[in-house]
Amino acid sequence: MKQQRHRFKILALILFGMFFLLAAYGGYSVLTYGNRWFSSKWNPRVRSQKETVIAGDILDVNGVTLATTVDGERVYQENEAIRRAVVHLVGDNQGQVSNGVETFQTSYLYGFQTSLPEMIASLFKGETRRGDNVTLTVDSKLCAAIVDSFNSYEKTAGKNGAAVVMNYKSGAVLALTSLPSFDPQNITEDTLNDAGQPFWNRVTQSVYAPGSSFKVITTEAALTGIDDILNLDILCTGGLDVDGHAIRDWGNAIHGNLTLKQAFTKSCNNAFALMALDMGDEKLRQTAESFGFNDNFLFRDLVVENSVYPTTNRSNFEIAWSGAGQSAIVASPMHMCMVAASIANGGVMMEPRLLQSVDSYGGINRMKFSSKVYRNALSSEDADIIKGFMRAVVTSGTGSRAAVEGLTICGKTGSAESSMNGESVTHGWFIGFIDSEDMPYAVAVLVESVNDGDGGGSTAAPIAGDIFRYIKTMQTANAATSTDLP
Amino acid sequence: MRNRISLHRDPGQRLAQVVMLFFFSAFILLGLKDFAWQAFALALGVPAMISVGTNLLSRLFPTDKLLLSLTNFLCALGVLVLYATNPNYAYQQTMYYGVGLGTMVVCIYLVRIIRNWHIPVLLMIPVSLAMLALPLVIGKETNGAKNWFYIGSLSVQPSEIVKLSLLVIISFYMSRHKMIPWLFFAVCCLGLLMLQKDLGTALMYYGTTLMLFYASSGNLALTGLGLAGGGGAAVMGYKMFAHVKKRVAIWLNPWSDYENAGYQIVQGLMALASGGMLGCGLGLGTPTTIPVYHTDFIFAVICEQFGLIFGLCVLAMYVALIWRGATIAMAARRSFHGLLAMGCTVLIALQTFTIIGGVIKLIPLTGVTMPFVSYGGTSLVSSMCLIGLLQGVASLNDDDLDEDTELAMMGDTEDMP
Repeated sequence: MKQQRHRFKILALILFGMFFLLAAYGGYSVLTYGNRWFSSKWNPRVRSQKETVIAGDILDVNGVTLATTVDGERVYQENEAIRRAVVHLVGDNQGQVSNGVETFQTSYLYGFQTSLPEMIASLFKGETRRGDNVTLTVDSKLCAAIVDSFNSYEKTAGKNGAAVVMNYKSGAVLALTSLPSFDPQNITEDTLNDAGQPFWNRVTQSVYAPGSSFKVITTEAALTGIDDILNLDILCTGGLDVDGHAIRDWGNAIHGNLTLKQAFTKSCNNAFALMALDMGDEKLRQTAESFGFNDNFLFRDLVVENSVYPTTNRSNFEIAWSGAGQSAIVASPMHMCMVAASIANGGVMMEPRLLQSVDSYGGINRMKFSSKVYRNALSSEDADIIKGFMRAVVTSGTGSRAAVEGLTICGKTGSAESSMNGESVTHGWFIGFIDSEDMPYAVAVLVESVNDGDGGGSTAAPIAGDIFRYIKTMQTANAATSTDLP
Repeated sequence: MRNRISLHRDPGQRLAQVVMLFFFSAFILLGLKDFAWQAFALALGVPAMISVGTNLLSRLFPTDKLLLSLTNFLCALGVLVLYATNPNYAYQQTMYYGVGLGTMVVCIYLVRIIRNWHIPVLLMIPVSLAMLALPLVIGKETNGAKNWFYIGSLSVQPSEIVKLSLLVIISFYMSRHKMIPWLFFAVCCLGLLMLQKDLGTALMYYGTTLMLFYASSGNLALTGLGLAGGGGAAVMGYKMFAHVKKRVAIWLNPWSDYENAGYQIVQGLMALASGGMLGCGLGLGTPTTIPVYHTDFIFAVICEQFGLIFGLCVLAMYVALIWRGATIAMAARRSFHGLLAMGCTVLIALQTFTIIGGVIKLIPLTGVTMPFVSYGGTSLVSSMCLIGLLQGVASLNDDDLDEDTELAMMGDTEDMP
């Protein structure tokens, strides 16, 4: 009997443990996923609220109205070029774009955060309730400028692509553009059936092989995983044989003996494949994971598709190509922008943010921008070394077309091979940043399916250059106006 | 002196008063919304029932008042939430609540009166198995499981009633260390439940039997073997039944098939998220968009209206209930009574865990009811009976304690060995 009592106690403790698990899991999941569940376009609560509440405005960082409600109708920015450039960011009132501000910030826009006294006040005044106004960190003119830039070059005009600009010190997203776009004011049957999938946000929802832009991560793995790598010579034979397959370089180049910096600047696949094989899959994967690969991104303002570094059954050939960012490694342009940003910010990766502030119609502030570290990706010493390498890419390597007079631009190009609808295509990448205290911006540009013979250096880098030029012009203009002020 | 008396007041008494006030004001609030006389009637009726359930009952027997208050709170919460979503369910539930209080008293009596359970147990075995087999013959299939049948317009779920006899039967044989009879009975029950594809209930039966076996024998090796066997059966069930496979797939990603299979759980999650920390208010929100909001998903409704913090408090109520139950089991003098009390506790706990875990997507969803709270006559009455059995044991414990005191007082004058 005494033993039985003791065992009753154990059973009770087990049951307590199970209930603790329930409470912990319930609390955790509502706190972390709550907004994602709530803002789902299928939530019937939102649909019913939409009929009784006037939705708030969406403004850009300069106060430009991107979306507003006029006589119960949702109206978007009157300039069609801007309207189209920010459509993936803002979303549309039909919910075609997943997780645009229109849907993901429903709880603010449709006044679910309104306090009880405010509700009662509006009831007594006999007014229709109004949702909160949401101000974004985004410069909508830059978004439009990015679209112009895509169209201004023969090699990228009409191509699908994505570009994102973020402040690497705060994480604030300055621009986010996906092509092709559509007009939220006029969604037609053709738009709905478009094979180019214009509703798709290619910055956050699409994941691509990062190609050579992943070499930033391979380099960090080599810096921490291979002894004295900075003083070693790596021999590029132009056709490293791995399990009977040869690793080829861009244009079948043979680079000979290279230092790590030269290998990075020339984006030598053979050298990076050798390093990947030398340090092994495990080491490379761990480094990728410290940059956020295989993590479940749960950012406050943005829903970003997870990046993958494969974890199982890999052949040596696959591992070798992993060093060059191929073979089933995928990442979104948003994440690759964060990778570049972490190098610029001394190894600290900030969480990307989209909301500058949220204010009620009556002017009560509900939420203010606050930046948050997403993770410490690498040491600041290593970040400085890689920054030097990335600087060389722009001054004397594959990324020279991103260079802008008077700015210290650092970057890395990539030409990622992948298959799309059964066809082998090449995507052009450029990730980089301005190394400057006043203009702390990182970019990622992706051009889908570039023409034969083109790569990231000839397609994505010029667009990045245009973005940097725009930022520089704005900075000079701001500096000029601020000196005019007393 | 007065101070000492108030210090020794039963905490259950206090809780009952707070609970009554809570429900009184909640129903008044709902009544002010649309001035329905039914709400005002419930505002008086429900606290009255709580009062009967706690105060009056404890005059009849020496019962555990805290346990009674917790039970009554949960039952009344069910009525309240049902009234806020669909008043018709609430009226029925109030009736079942009354019936439940009655059957609870009957169960207390049975435990107190029957001193030799051998013949009742021998009778229960064939009757229970026959009842469990009945839905297979004349049953009705809902949600892939065939576990109901109708007597006239009254729907009956026999597994809810059989779980009472299961507890009595296995506690009886386990306390006598006769393994064959209880094993036979438990295996037959599980087999019949599997045939009905009622896997949620099967899981509860299995878990309770295994836990009681461990408590009675302390045989870790055989318990482990039973656990492994259960795991094997679960894998086999997954491979054999298409609807189990589907449930697991929905559990892993309910959003992938939102329109059809995942609809229920996704609606539940949205309700949880809409409630936030403090809830959107009693009678507000749109919890009725969740399919079967009144039975399986009532926890999501509670969380939407009262908020996550209140939801966690409801969990805490169940934890307190388990604590009381385990305390009663530990205080029992006879092995049979101890096992019976622990069995009731484990069964309630596992059932609650299974359904709430399913609603918050911790485990795959299986259609069992939330004890005391979910709408449903059979479920509420059988849960009240479980509490009745527990209270019966508690009252016997109390009697034993009184006898001890008497003996001890006699021992003061005589020499005891």
